[in-house]
Amino acid sequence: MNVAVHTQGNQIRKQVVQALSKQKAVVAIALMLIAMLFSDSNFYTQLNIMNIFRAASPNLIIAFGVTLAVICRGCDLSVGSVMSMSGIIAILLINNGMNMYMAMIVAALSGAVVGFINGFLVVHQKTEAFIITLGMGMLVKGIALQLTDANPVPTSRDKALAFMRISNGVFLGIPHIMWYMLILGAFTFWLLRFTSFGRNCYALGGDYEVAKYSGINVVRTKWIAFTLTGTYAAVAGVLLASRMNTGSAIYGDAIPLMVNCGVVIGGTSFAGGTGGVVHSFIGIMVMQLLRNCMNGFGIDPYIQQMVLGVVIVGIICMDCYAIKRKKEDV
Amino acid sequence: MTKQLHLRRTQITGFVMEYLVFVTILVLVIVTAIVQPNFSTAQNFTNLMRQFGPLSFVALGMTFIIIGGFIDLSVPGIISLVAIITLSLVDTIGEVGAMLVGLALGAVMGCLNGVILVVSGASTQAKALFITFGMSQLYGAAALLYTSGTSMNRTFINHPMPVTSALGQGMVGFLSLSFVVFLCFLFVLYIFQSRTALGRSINYTGGNIVAAELSGIPTKRIMVLIYAICGFMAAVSAIVLFSRVTVTTPTVGANFERDAIMAVVVGGTSLLGGKGSVLRTMMGVSLVVLMSNCMNLLGVQTHLQEVLRGLILVTAIWLDHRRHR
Repeated sequence: MNVAVHTQGNQIRKQVVQALSKQKAVVAIALMLIAMLFSDSNFYTQLNIMNIFRAASPNLIIAFGVTLAVICRGCDLSVGSVMSMSGIIAILLINNGMNMYMAMIVAALSGAVVGFINGFLVVHQKTEAFIITLGMGMLVKGIALQLTDANPVPTSRDKALAFMRISNGVFLGIPHIMWYMLILGAFTFWLLRFTSFGRNCYALGGDYEVAKYSGINVVRTKWIAFTLTGTYAAVAGVLLASRMNTGSAIYGDAIPLMVNCGVVIGGTSFAGGTGGVVHSFIGIMVMQLLRNCMNGFGIDPYIQQMVLGVVIVGIICMDCYAIKRKKEDV
Repeated sequence: MTKQLHLRRTQITGFVMEYLVFVTILVLVIVTAIVQPNFSTAQNFTNLMRQFGPLSFVALGMTFIIIGGFIDLSVPGIISLVAIITLSLVDTIGEVGAMLVGLALGAVMGCLNGVILVVSGASTQAKALFITFGMSQLYGAAALLYTSGTSMNRTFINHPMPVTSALGQGMVGFLSLSFVVFLCFLFVLYIFQSRTALGRSINYTGGNIVAAELSGIPTKRIMVLIYAICGFMAAVSAIVLFSRVTVTTPTVGANFERDAIMAVVVGGTSLLGGKGSVLRTMMGVSLVVLMSNCMNLLGVQTHLQEVLRGLILVTAIWLDHRRHR
């Protein structure tokens, strides 16, 4: 009797632990929200909450793209540089008298080109995704520096207002940049959930060889995924440039590793084949909330950097550990 | 006949591919020497040897990591922290003592990286990349916290620093002292890598970690060892780095990981693991140093240099994968 109760209790505890460890990102968000109840900062004001989402929007858009690459068992570390470069390209083209919308489209396409090259090198030439995209990132950042001579570039005064309205305008009480984020998120969700392309992504991320032998065009699917990742990063770059009315080559320095980590925190594993848009949304929000909370508590920025490092190491370690355990179970 | 021709052509391509670094260095030197007479002066030669400095040591350490099939982005954090702590300890425990503490600290931080990787079961390069990036943030933040963000000025240190000055400016014959130290390390590490069982088992681990494990090589200990070597070499480069400058900032190590990986890969050590040598890395470092020297002499813009560097890195990785798959 006693033993039975004991084992039952054990089982319940096991289930709770399992559920919590599966939803660790949600748990982290809940903990942070509770912690903020006890700080005397202006966390729970409409302004701050809007601000969090507005600041997170470019990262979220990039994360949606990176999700595609990670699901296909890749990853993209060139997104930060692509983001910087596309913003700069948009602003320079506008300043040189090109139509604003045309310039933005060209800038977004520049990201697609980088993504396409990444895809070619990773999928077609079978190079290791993370190292080749790291190199691509260096190259693209060099281009961004060359274009601006390492100075931040604003739009010329007569065009600034129209350009800034793209991101900073408000529709139904929500800033435009958030609308774009929501639309791209919904699009990616649809892409992954309801199209054959999305299903193929999951399939080839789960097992590349099996997907190949079951007739999926693995090369094309993965290639498209990388191209989309580059495009998303470029779109985020244009929107950020419009939000700040400035393009700078150093905007994207910390982005790639942060976004990739955020995606993994959400539960899209480097092992490929799992995760999705909602996961990435939650993962990035964890990073953003963490920063906002630490600011709210007035924590020294160097300690913030330290905490961020610990969080990254901890999260990736947990991901590795889960993969290891899964392998041992099988 | 055509078959023979084809064979010869593949032989030639094979030769060029194998000695690509040599060929590139040769072309670079000849072109620069013709266009810019300042290149072949004794002054520039000394300059070149000095520029070998910090990067060459990190690259030597990184070679072992990459041969072992991993990668280490924590180098910037380790260099910054070691440089700052060593400098701050000089007044209390003397110069040599501080240097020893710094070297030990580097090795310990490297060890810590390795242990974290082993414990979490991170057995791929990609995971090692993210974890060591996180560790770099941690070490870098520690360096910033230690000085609360300010720089360390060597002129404010009262204790005499003969070893540091010698390392920074000293010459042995026509070679700079830091270059001689580099040659010593190169020799020792080359012997370690090619003549000892332990050194060879690093190659086996990088070649196929499962097979190595099954044939009785303690792969986990090897992982910790290679990260410790890399941490130690990063500490050496931190000391060489601050010996050359008066003011040391707490972010002094930034971008070293990038250049070190580039030097190793350009030298021809495969990122897939298992193949490579410290001698190849020396060629890689030579190319990186020569390239920046030549581009400076030829008056190439700084940012354009950045683009070219990225281009060379991407090409080197691409060729490496083409060659080994």
